[in-house]
Amino acid sequence: MSDKHKPQPMVDEVSDFEILEMAVRELAIEKGLFSADDHRRWTEYVHTLGPVPAARLVAKAWLDPEYKKLAVTDGVKASLAVGVDWINSPPTGFGTPSDYCNLRVLEDTPKLKHVVVCTLCSCYPRPILGQSPEWYRTPNYRRRLVRWPRQVLAEFGLQLSPEVEIRVADSNQKTRYIVLPVRPAGTEGWTEDQLTEIVTRDCLIGVAVPKPGVTTNAKRPVHPAVHPVHHDH
Amino acid sequence: MSSSTRERVLRHINTVGLLQPALHQATHAPYPDTIDHTLYRAYTRGVHDVGGEPDVPIQWEEKEEEQWELNTFATCECLAWRGVWNAEERRRRQNVDVGQTVYLGLPYYGRWLLTAARILVDKQYVTLTELVNKIEEVKKRHEQNSSR
Amino acid sequence: MSKIHHDRTHHAKKATNIGDPQCFKGEAGAPKFKVGDRVRVKDLPDLFYTRTQTYPRGVVGTVTVLVYESPAPEDEAWDNTDKSEWFYSVKFRQKDIWPDYHDLYANDTLETELSERWLEKA
Repeated sequence: MSDKHKPQPMVDEVSDFEILEMAVRELAIEKGLFSADDHRRWTEYVHTLGPVPAARLVAKAWLDPEYKKLAVTDGVKASLAVGVDWINSPPTGFGTPSDYCNLRVLEDTPKLKHVVVCTLCSCYPRPILGQSPEWYRTPNYRRRLVRWPRQVLAEFGLQLSPEVEIRVADSNQKTRYIVLPVRPAGTEGWTEDQLTEIVTRDCLIGVAVPKPGVTTNAKRPVHPAVHPVHHDH
Repeated sequence: MSSSTRERVLRHINTVGLLQPALHQATHAPYPDTIDHTLYRAYTRGVHDVGGEPDVPIQWEEKEEEQWELNTFATCECLAWRGVWNAEERRRRQNVDVGQTVYLGLPYYGRWLLTAARILVDKQYVTLTELVNKIEEVKKRHEQNSSR
Repeated sequence: MSKIHHDRTHHAKKATNIGDPQCFKGEAGAPKFKVGDRVRVKDLPDLFYTRTQTYPRGVVGTVTVLVYESPAPEDEAWDNTDKSEWFYSVKFRQKDIWPDYHDLYANDTLETELSERWLEKA
């Protein structure tokens, strides 16, 4: 703004998506379709989400066989123990519209490994796992995982022997999935908090397995945002 | 302004020429008897149904979320919360009704956003005139802010 | 001028404090299939919208769970929610879906959900 004579490149300041986003939101609010407060509450709700509740569910299931039974038969009920009420945590009182209220917890064994995809869009258990990663939304992952799961898993650094059955869960309707991986060796005597730390988002999708000492997803390039989400609401 | 409008128009026409599906034969508005069952199915398929399509490995990447993307997600969920649409209707409009060019060509939340705009008009909550005027108004507001 | 009138409250009225798909429970009648049944995915016309992928059509799999009752996506995508049907989780052998799937990995499987209209006894 210091140089008056330099024309501001408007197209670089604000994208077409940003213009349309404001237009749609403002019109919807002006027409009374939802309120500004609804939008603010939803945004705040999204800011509370992340993979920790799902990781804690797994840790609890490792420690408590009764709870594991509950988790694999009624994921929605089991979520309550980690602070996620699929129906009443979201502002609606009837769940999030896009995630529905039917969580299935897929239990791995030494002979069975689950991995999750949604070939038709990118359905994902946001209430217990947060927003999906970009790669999960790509047509590439959705095209290939159902047909070449071993190749795709190898690209994620997971090579499994032919004795292990790989089961792809294609999340195509109203059910959402998380994977309950096998508890790794070397975690004997660990607390729930310690175990929770090694269950990363990628482990819960099924493209990685937990390992003592590994508490983050594999390092990948990050595409930066032009105007990133600010968390000051 | 008018010269840059023409530049934008001509650039657009050259760009859409690159977006045509790469089926290497003349396919634009063909004769009815040239569309057999296979082609009928291919042209009328739901474009979201990509499971099993051959593709080559890519680099798996993470992405930071843009503020407008989060706002768009919240708008779409609020529209469902308040009954303007349900999630299945949203998925249908955003993943199938948009057609292949938009489906593969726009960013993920770009499709959410276009579809949110569209539902307001299709269900007559907003006229297209009102939407267009609002877009102009928002644009002008930003031009003023950035030239101040 | 003529305006379409939408009831914007019907889903919230039905699902509040209950959830979706829970709010459709009991609406589909008796399920046609049970856990363990062998079923084949039909190749029905799918003009405009379905959530039954193309790749499992014509393949025989095994019902693993009766997951819930819900309107079919073909109807719900236009907000028609008066009729519900049963949804089944069905497990397939990868080798039965993809002819080129390697024999070495014959144990590999895939699980997905299908509504009753898409299934027939195998």
